[in-house]
Order: sequence, then structure tokens, then C-alpha cells
Amino acid sequence: MKELFPMKQVNGFIFSMLLTVIALSVYFLDMSYSVALTILLVTAFIQAGVQLVLFMHAGESEDKTSIYTTTFYALSIALFTVFGSLLAMIWGYMF
Amino acid sequence: MEFFERFAIPHPSPLIYASMVAIGLVSIAIIVGITYFKKWGYLWNEWLTTVDHKKIGIMYIISALLMLFRGGADAIMMRLQTAVPENSFLDAQHYNEVFTTHGVVMIMFMAMPFIIGLMNFIVPLQIGARDVAFPRLNAISFWLFFFGAMLFNLSFVVGGSPDAGWTNYYPLASNEFSPSVGVNYYNWALQISGIGTLMTGINFIATILKMRAPGMKLMKMPMFTWASLLTNVIIVFAFPVLTIALVMGTFDRQFGTHFFTSMNGGMDMMWANLFWVWGHPEVYILILPAFGIYSEIISTFSQRNLYGYKSMVWSMVLISLFSFTVWLHHFFTMGQNAFTNSIFSITTIAIAIPTGIKIFNWLLTMRKGKIRFTVPMLYSIAFIPLFTIGGATGVMLGMASADYQYHNTMFLVAHFHNVIIPGVVFAVLAGFTYWWPKMFGFMLNEKIGKWAFWFLSIGFCLAFFPMYITGLNGQARRMYTYSEATGFGPLNLLSFFGAGLMAIAFVLIVYNVYYSFRHSPRNVGDDPWNARSLEWATHNPVPEYNFAVAPEVKSSEALWDQKKHGHKLFNKEYEEIHMPNKSGVPFIMGVLFFIFGFSFIFAIWLGVILSAIGIFACMIYRTFEQDHGFHISVKEIKETEEKFGGADK
Amino acid sequence: MKLDHSQPLEYSTDQNRLNILGFWIFLGAEIMLFATLFTSYFVYEDRIGSGPSGADIFEITPVLIETIILLTSSFTIGLAIHAMRINRTKAMTVFLGITLLLGAAFLATEIYEFNHYYHIGATLQTSGFTGILLTTLGTHGAHVTLGLFWGAMILIQIMKRGLTPQIANKSFIFSLYWHFLDVVWIFIFSFIYLKGMM
Repeated sequence: MKELFPMKQVNGFIFSMLLTVIALSVYFLDMSYSVALTILLVTAFIQAGVQLVLFMHAGESEDKTSIYTTTFYALSIALFTVFGSLLAMIWGYMF
Repeated sequence: MEFFERFAIPHPSPLIYASMVAIGLVSIAIIVGITYFKKWGYLWNEWLTTVDHKKIGIMYIISALLMLFRGGADAIMMRLQTAVPENSFLDAQHYNEVFTTHGVVMIMFMAMPFIIGLMNFIVPLQIGARDVAFPRLNAISFWLFFFGAMLFNLSFVVGGSPDAGWTNYYPLASNEFSPSVGVNYYNWALQISGIGTLMTGINFIATILKMRAPGMKLMKMPMFTWASLLTNVIIVFAFPVLTIALVMGTFDRQFGTHFFTSMNGGMDMMWANLFWVWGHPEVYILILPAFGIYSEIISTFSQRNLYGYKSMVWSMVLISLFSFTVWLHHFFTMGQNAFTNSIFSITTIAIAIPTGIKIFNWLLTMRKGKIRFTVPMLYSIAFIPLFTIGGATGVMLGMASADYQYHNTMFLVAHFHNVIIPGVVFAVLAGFTYWWPKMFGFMLNEKIGKWAFWFLSIGFCLAFFPMYITGLNGQARRMYTYSEATGFGPLNLLSFFGAGLMAIAFVLIVYNVYYSFRHSPRNVGDDPWNARSLEWATHNPVPEYNFAVAPEVKSSEALWDQKKHGHKLFNKEYEEIHMPNKSGVPFIMGVLFFIFGFSFIFAIWLGVILSAIGIFACMIYRTFEQDHGFHISVKEIKETEEKFGGADK
Repeated sequence: MKLDHSQPLEYSTDQNRLNILGFWIFLGAEIMLFATLFTSYFVYEDRIGSGPSGADIFEITPVLIETIILLTSSFTIGLAIHAMRINRTKAMTVFLGITLLLGAAFLATEIYEFNHYYHIGATLQTSGFTGILLTTLGTHGAHVTLGLFWGAMILIQIMKRGLTPQIANKSFIFSLYWHFLDVVWIFIFSFIYLKGMM
């Protein structure tokens, strides 16, 4: 039975639950908007990293360079799209 | 009867009735012809069910040529309408429909498939692979594109064409201002063909990354393969944006949401934003492969290796990243503050740097070269100055403050045709001529090809350079007519004349195919252009399995190494070759997607549900199917190779 | 078909390795798909017209249930792949089955949630904000639904044919998909729900 529950997976699961609890603090505790948003950003991206590396085995095969390049390329374009659009439609929009 | 009324054309004219008759007659003629010559079996077995990248490539190119004439007819109608002041050949509504379909057809259903067709045919050969990574998926990509294109063209005779421009801006594209089903056609035709394109992107990245010949490191890939790789990277990350934007547009028009409306929190400019987040990378999806084609051709016909290989690659990598950071320059005048516009102005102008590097590399490749002025080379040489003019006017448009003057004028129209025609159209025609013997085993006639080239280049200059002037003088784009007092008349007439010359050029190109098919000699050998890269190391036309044994490569010019430096490409013995089976499922899925799109456009929900079930049934069939392909035996390979006279390999 | 026995079953043929890389590239496209939805969500977040805002309609309980269910299912699919790699086919099917059940439970909660929104007057048509909220959640939910069918097909194939290299490959790719949906949910949980409620 024990070999079916490897430490890596179990720890990853516990860690992701922990991150969820930390994220939840922005709801249950009283804190400023910027602190709360920072907590959310940090927990969400660590959580994504845990899934990617621990659970999805992104780095295990001969293609890990391609896989990481794809992911980071997508991520950087995604962030540029999000913030560029916010700049165009809200922050920099004058009307 | 009420059910059928929705299919009526809202704004009919004799032209539309004539084209209905024409479409009907052509369809009947095709069906009768195929039946008479008993070609149904051949068509189904050899083409509709094929998963061979070479045949799929050819089908892409044929479809693209058909669409070229469809979009070209639109162009001629527009130029005819504006040739003289206050012309009444088309009314405002028809003019709107014509410039909309011209844009969509030319970008989505002509330029893209032409380039994807060349990629399909050439990339696996250039990297020494047997096929693409996912041959079945490749066939699905093609059929989704094809049926998307057919769906779009159906709008002309059933229900009415889209009329809000190829950019389809809201609120003009909303139900209120575009009440016909035209924009629904736009949404679904682009959605379906877009999904196909996305799958092509995934397929080719996997192919290029994993299936290269032994020894071909990334920095030893031919330049067209590099260009294709980066193009497909852009496709994969840009097309999902279009998918979502189209879904939102569909929801607005068909389910009454408030994304792009002006009430209940809607924001019409959000469409423009999302459209261009996809739309600007789309421009580079078109131009990067063109750069790749020019690199191959210029190096071959200058008989020198490509100057600055590494800088060529890195400039394309930079372009592929930058292409996602500039979209806002399409709507500088929307109302952002100066800070926002400045950021996007800088990123826009920065793209000129890697592009400039490439221009100099091509020039330096030609320097001291022994240039052979063949048809592909003529297109490439004409491309350099013409594209530079287009690029320079692009930098002008990229300056946000100056853009307030140029925005939405004919100056812009002149600019983007000036980059797309010498950039993309010349490139695909050059590539078409260059790789033609690879596809069919004979050459296109050089003399007719040169006539076509001159007609096209001179026609292009006459058609589009006047628009720079009328644009600066204030002629707005997309206006169906103008008064005589504006003084735009003579230059527009000149434009029309230029468009006529371009039309002659395209007729000549098709005539050239016919003429060469009849008269060209068939024994052109494997390497008729004295070329340098791997695709010319196999036979013309290419056998089903591409290479009898996998080539071994040590530079980006593998064939040149073999010819000049005694490198041996083929060192192994023949082995059994594993090939994928053909399948009818991709074609059937294409048809089902067509029915799905058509039903959705007209809100026939039964059709939507049934076709969706059909699509899922195809996917379930696929997952349970046990299809391990087939093998070509060593004996068969030997026979084929001897037939081509290449048994020594 | 050349089998490479030095690698796990799902990597053992050339085509298998191609499939896995191809699916990673597809996931890159999915990142952009959801990024576009998030972009739109952030733009429309405050454009509520005469409808409710996020703070008005979000409830912590169903959201928490959904999050825990999905995180757990991501854990169990990871265990399923681990079981597959140590050749415990039976255990693998059990874990895969649990994953699918959890997926169905997630979906049921989400349907409850949508129903709730509908009854308090936050529909697709209410405002720009509710429209993009339901579209984003709905796109994720549609992915989960598709995943349920896909996983069920794989389960049937394992039971019918055992673990062949092809089926192992499909299972591994399915696990990538499922983990990815979990990642997307983390972002929905953080930047739609928690950000909306804080």
C-alpha cells in the first residue's frame, strides 16, 4: 500500500493545501489591498509551479528544454497581454 | 416557408444572382465532370482521405489559388467602383460587403493556406523527415480550414455577407448595425478554420523539434524551417486569443451578452483590443515564412551561402516575441493617454531593427554572388526595395502622434498592401515557382513567368503608390465613393489601371501552369536549380516515403556539402519504412464542422446538436481505433528508387 | 513499432514521445486561451452596469468545496500515474476512477453555483461583468466536462486492453490535462473569487 503513495506526491499535496489556506487568509483576515494581492500572486504562482514540476513531471524527459521554453514563452506573452490590455483599456484610457 | 426566409439575401443585386448561377453551374460541372471521368474513387482514395503531408500541401495551395481569384475579384470590384468619382457600380452596402470579404479571404483563406501549404510540402523534406508528427491531425487541420473557407464563401449567396470590415469592429458588427447573419458567418468561418490553424501550429512545432535528420542541430536548420518553426510558435500563442474574441462576439450577437455593446457594462473597444492581440502576430505569421522563402531563394540563385545565418535566426526570434507587444498601434486614436501610446510606439518602431538586419543580410548575400535572374529570384530582388518602402511607411504609421493624421486613410491601405503584396504574395509566388518541380517533376515556363512578374510588379506600383498620395490628401479608406471636387479621381483611375495589370499577371500565372503542364520537359532531374538544402536531395516528384534512408547532415546546406565538399548524405542500408494509414475521418469531421457552423449561424439548434454529437462520435471512434499504419518493404523501396534512377543512394 | 524499455511505458515509442511534447505545446496554447479570458475578466470586473458585483454574489462555501475537490483530484491523478509506472494496473484504475468521481463532484458543485447565480439575477446577459465571469468559469467547466468523458474512455480502454504503450501514453497525457485544469482553477480561485471577495 505504501508504495502507492510516494512522498513526493503526498508532500506536494499537503503543500498545495497549505498554499490554499494561506491564500484564504486574504478573505478571513483584514489586510490592505496591496498586501492581499501580493499574497494571492505569490501563492498562485508557487501553486502553479508545484503542479508543473512535481505533478506534471515537466523536467523528466529529453524534451524538458522545449517544454520549459514553451511554458515560459506562453507565460510571458500571457502576462504582457494581461497588463498591456489593462493599460490600454483601463489605466491609460482617458474617456 | 418561413423557415427558408432566413436564408434569403437581405440586399440582393444582379451581381449576386449572377454569382449564384455561376456557383451552381460550376458545382454541377465539377460533379458531372468527376462522374463522367469516373474519378470519384481516385478523388476519395488519393486526396480526400490522404494523410500525406505532400498531398495536403498541394490541396492547401490549390485552395489558396482559388481563394486568390475570389478575393481578387473583390479587389477589382472595389477599384472599379472607386475608379471615377460618384460611381454607381456598387452601392454602399455592397461595397462594405466586398471590402470585408476581400480582407478576410485574402488574409485567412489565401495568404495563410498558401504559406501553410508550402510549409506542409517543404518542411518535412528540409529536415529529412518521413511526414509531420501527427499526420492524421494534419489532415483534420486542412479540412477544417477548407470547410471554414467554404462556409465563409457561402455567405455570398445564402443569408448575406459580413459587412463590418475584416477587422469587424463593434458596435458596427453588432446586431443593431449589422442585422444580417453576415457577421455570424465571419465568427464561425474564422473560428473553424482558426482551430485548424492552431492544430497545424502544434503539429509543426513538434515535427521540427523532434523529427530532424541526424546531425541537424537547431542552428543547422535551413532558414525556411527556422521561419516555419517561429511562425508556428506565433500561431500557437496568437490563435487562442482569436478563439475567445470570436466566442465573445458570437455570445453578443446570438445570446444577448454585453461584451461589446455600449450598455450594461459593455465595452466595444475591447473587441478591437482582443482582435489586434491576435491580429498583429497574425501579420508576422504571414511575413516570417516569406522571409524564410526569400532566404532560400536568394542564397540559391546568388550561388552563395546565406550571409549572417545566426543574425537571421535571432532577428526572427526577436520578431516573434515583439510581434505580441505592439498590437495597440492599430488603435492609437482610441483615446489612451500619451504614456500608453508611447510604449507601444516604441515597441512598434523597435521591430524595424531586426527586420532591417534581415534586409542587409539578403543584400550582403547577393554581394559578389553570381546571380541568376530566374523568376523566383526576380520576385526576391523586387521584394527588397518594395518591402523597404512598406516598412518605412510602417515606421511613419508607428509614431503615435503622426498616426492621428494617417489613421484610417488610404495611406494606411497603401502601407499594408505594400508590405503584404511584395512581402507575402511575391514570396508565395516565388516559392511556388521555385518548389514547383519538387511537387510535380517539371519546371514552370520561365518566359511566361517573367511576363507575369513584370505585370505584377508594375501593376502593384501603379495600384498602390497613388494611394499614399490620396491618403495624405485625406481620402478615407472604406468609403464607397467620393465627389469630383476632392480631386482624388485621376489617381484612383491610375490605381484601377494598376489593379488591371495585376489581374493580367495572375491570369498569366495560371496560364503558365497549363502551358508548362502541356509543354515542359519532364526529365529535369532531382536538382534543377542547383540548390543547397535537403529537400532537393530526394527525387522529383517526391516518392511517398520522402527519403529511402534517413539523410545525415552536418550543416544547414546539406546538399551543397554533398555536391561540393564530398559529404555523404545517405550512409545506411534500406530498411522497412513505417507509414501512417489514410483515413476518411478528417474529411467527415470537416463536413460535420461545416454543418455545425452553418446551423449555428442560422440558430438551427437541432443541426448544432446533431453535428456536435457527430464530431464527438468521430473523436470516440478515433480513441478506440487501433491503427498501427503499414510498412513499405525493402523490395518496394528498391523498385521505386530504381524507377527514379536513384538506386545508388 | 520500436519499444524503448529504458523509458517508462508512456515514453516508450517515438510516437509516444511526440504525443507528449505535442500536448505540452497545446497546453501553451491553453495558457493563452485562459490568459485572454483573464484579461477580459479584469477589464470587465468593474463594468457591472445595473447588475451585481463580485462581492455581491460570490459565496465562500461552494468555492472552497470546489477548490478542495479539484486539488484532491489533481493529487489522485498523480497517484494514478505513479501506480501506472510501478505496474499496478488495478490501483491505477482505482485512482483514475476516484479522479473522475471527484471531477463529477466538482461539476455538480459548479452547476449548483451557476444555478444560484441564475436565481439571484446574475446571468450571462446581465452585464459585462457577469457575462465574462460565467464565460470564464464556463470555459473551465467545459474543459472539466470534456476531461470526464476523455478519462472515462481511457478507463474503458485500460479495462478492455490492459496497459499498452498507447494507453499508458493517453493516460499520462490525460494527467497533464487534468493537472493543467487544476492550475487554471488556482488562478480562478485566487484572482476571481478571493480578489472579488476581499
